[in-house]
Amino acid sequence: MAKTILIVDDSASIRQVVGLTLKGAGYDIVDAVDGKDALTKLDGRKINLVISDVNMPNMDGISFVKQMKTMPAYKFTPVIMLTTEGSEAMKRDGQAAGAKAWVVKPFQPAQMLDAVSKLILP
Amino acid sequence: MSLDLGEALQTFFAESRGLLQDMEESLLRLESESDDAESINAVFRAAHTIKGSSGMFGLDAIVAFTHKVENLLDQVRNGAVPLKEGMIGLLLACRDHIERLLDFAAAGEEMDADARTHGEALTAQLSQCLGKSATVPAEAVSPLESAGGRPMAGDTWHISLRFGQDVLKNGMDPLSFLRYLGTLGEICHLATLADALPAAAEMDPECCYLGFELCLKSDVDKARIEAVFEFVRDDCDLHILPPGSKQADYLRLIAALPEDNARLGELLVASGAMTARELEMILTAQESAGASQATQKPLGEILVERQIVQPELVNAALSKQKDARNRQAQEAKFIRVHADKLDHLINLVGELVISGAGVGLQAARNKDATLMESVSGMARLVEDIRDGAMRLRMVEIGETFNRFRRVVRDVSKEIGKDIELVIEGEGTELDKTVVDKIGDPLTHLMRNAMDHGIEPAELRASRGKPVKGTLKLNAYHESGGIVIEVSDDGGGLNRERILAKAREKGLIPDDGGNLSDAEVWKLIFEAGFSTAEQVSNLSGRGVGMDVVRRNIEALRGTVDIESHAGLGSIFRIRLPLTLAIIDGFLMGVGDGHYVVPLDMVQECLELDPARSEQRDYINLRGEVLPLLRVKEHFGLGGRAGRRENVVVVNSAGRKAGLVVDELKGEFQAVIKPLAAMFAKVRGVTGSTILGSGEVALVLEVPALLTEAARKLAA
Amino acid sequence: MEIRSERNDGRLSLYPEGEMTIYHAADLKPALLDALGQSDAIELDLSAVSELDTSGVQLLMLMKREAVAAGKSLALSGHSPAVLEVFELLGLGGWFGDPQVLPPNLQASARGAA
Repeated sequence: MAKTILIVDDSASIRQVVGLTLKGAGYDIVDAVDGKDALTKLDGRKINLVISDVNMPNMDGISFVKQMKTMPAYKFTPVIMLTTEGSEAMKRDGQAAGAKAWVVKPFQPAQMLDAVSKLILP
Repeated sequence: MSLDLGEALQTFFAESRGLLQDMEESLLRLESESDDAESINAVFRAAHTIKGSSGMFGLDAIVAFTHKVENLLDQVRNGAVPLKEGMIGLLLACRDHIERLLDFAAAGEEMDADARTHGEALTAQLSQCLGKSATVPAEAVSPLESAGGRPMAGDTWHISLRFGQDVLKNGMDPLSFLRYLGTLGEICHLATLADALPAAAEMDPECCYLGFELCLKSDVDKARIEAVFEFVRDDCDLHILPPGSKQADYLRLIAALPEDNARLGELLVASGAMTARELEMILTAQESAGASQATQKPLGEILVERQIVQPELVNAALSKQKDARNRQAQEAKFIRVHADKLDHLINLVGELVISGAGVGLQAARNKDATLMESVSGMARLVEDIRDGAMRLRMVEIGETFNRFRRVVRDVSKEIGKDIELVIEGEGTELDKTVVDKIGDPLTHLMRNAMDHGIEPAELRASRGKPVKGTLKLNAYHESGGIVIEVSDDGGGLNRERILAKAREKGLIPDDGGNLSDAEVWKLIFEAGFSTAEQVSNLSGRGVGMDVVRRNIEALRGTVDIESHAGLGSIFRIRLPLTLAIIDGFLMGVGDGHYVVPLDMVQECLELDPARSEQRDYINLRGEVLPLLRVKEHFGLGGRAGRRENVVVVNSAGRKAGLVVDELKGEFQAVIKPLAAMFAKVRGVTGSTILGSGEVALVLEVPALLTEAARKLAA
Repeated sequence: MEIRSERNDGRLSLYPEGEMTIYHAADLKPALLDALGQSDAIELDLSAVSELDTSGVQLLMLMKREAVAAGKSLALSGHSPAVLEVFELLGLGGWFGDPQVLPPNLQASARGAA
């Protein structure tokens, strides 16, 4: 059974490219445009990994991950945060919220696939 | 990896342009409220997202430049660098440069030398603004390649892993890292160590207690192996011994690991890392070296240095201002739809109208009363659908208006006048195609008002007016159309000067002094007219105003001027709400039907068959009116009607008479574009469907006027 | 996650079904240890285990250790493909000492690792 990845980013092009890349590698993809939208996607379905941007309208990535970690079905789901280089503070906030993995923007599709592969293989 | 990113790339361009628009709006807002945290954040987010996405597409030039912009914005957001007034100008220039880089990327070109120089100049200015405050080093865009590095000699690595207790809770499964490691080479001799597993009662099933010793046959370098565990490096003791390590290295390793030395030694022997004899030597050597070495802290070679956590930046994003929240709530209510899809929908609705009319005719012919009733019910619905589909194309004019904030800002800086832009009626809706085409004429009018309308500061002061000039954009609906006003509080139009200029240019006879004000104002729309005493680089070229008039007329609109000396002028543009529906005048020629826009019809008269000169022109109250026989123009057969009629049409001051068989009166027409195969037919702009289901052609009056004049001259 | 159990001549057979992962570890631990207290000879049939992660492996290792310490026998059997993949990766076959039947696609990698 293919592993399912939830992509949360307000940029449509990032969702599209990351989605294409990961689908190509054999993962199933669910996507959301911000934290609020992402919470609605956590409806009990199995999510093996979450990739989330930090700075988003409506609900930012950190608040989203904090909320997700309170849900029994998703409290152990690994999270890759999309961070900016140099923003150590943001990375630390993310880690404190439970997002222990990260990919630094800007990234290339192969880098994302590499980070995902470390956490789950398809 | 080869992916078809074409479509995603288009998404990226559309998205980036939208972000640049946001960026500009926020920057302009910052100009008046420099401490608006939400605006600063919005500008940052725009730059940040563009950088992030462009990196994904390998658009390195954009990444490199936006990175620098983002640096400065980040510092501003932190409060480390204050936002000074000049900085907004610089950031606007940077925004424009990003747009330019996007244009290059969209065209698939490298940036030219000019753009490069410009970019470097901006970069230098950005660095200046940053001053001494810490710049964030740009991370290599593709560490994957750099991670390749130079391979070490040999190929069997020894790796010791002790995972922290929290990794499982964090969603990190050590098995995943091991599996991934397996993709870098071949894992041989993996030993799982459960030594740290506590007594059953104390064991927390959600904690991790396992350790692993393994050998990896691979030609990757150490950094690449370390990178495998980067997500757990705070939570994992990792020791990597490269191929060909010396005994002393193993000794240090054994000392550093928590397990019993002899047991570790056995593992190493079993994995072939060393021989039993070597192990014996090592253990002996260790004993003699004393306990101090054994109690040394782990090597911790890859443990990151802990840094002091900076004050929460992210929460700043949470304290959003109310209007920002509203804006976002509105954004969420929109969906982006390709304009072609809407056009297609409207076309289909047109087809539906035809089909509906056809069914109605059948029903009427068969005298089927119940069917006719159903048909009329359906027709009402179809009409509603048509109106609804039309409404989908309606957009608010506010976005177009807001674009002028930048124009006003730049122009007023350039010409040294302090001018404020007031916008009203942003919510007024009109057809998207009209909105797209109104930008240019509006720009001309705005520039004209700033250049010639609003007086220099000293003059304003001497006239007792506020030094700051006001330019106003307003829009409202009026009798089925939309009115857009560009008004200024400047000196108003100068009647005498316009008259003098018009005489000089030969636009009016020398004695033409008794024109009404409105007629005088209209003169400035004549080709070649320009009242500017000094030609500025903005609007003094004398091409502006007549182009404005032509553009507006092309949209079936009109423009008129109201001006009061010393108080200012109002340029009032009236436009139809949509180009898709016109009030038309329906005419019959032979068996066919033709429509002209009603506002171009001046009068109708019956053609007197007794007058011989009526072949190519008639005398209309002493004026020569060229005639165009529609039947001949389109090469239609059939005999002439019992009576012929002349429809006098007028466009841009030219007149002609269209000779038709029958006058059918006013008719509201939904215009359907012509298929490509009819593109070469001159004099027709589209078609429309009559209630009967028959098709009528919509005539292109300007083209017919030209044709009529040509025939008359021949 | 469910554990069905059967008793045959004093031998307790357990059939865990579904994921033996971190999501269920908190429930699995007491269930498995409890079973250990109920019999001297336990068989753990892993044929219905769809997923096994580190937390599951740890629990199996803990159970084996406790069984050995108490002088009881714990036999793992019917290793499902998911279980076999993990045991292969971690080299645990020998640790538990149970016979495993390797499916053909894992045999190649097993030889490579040997």
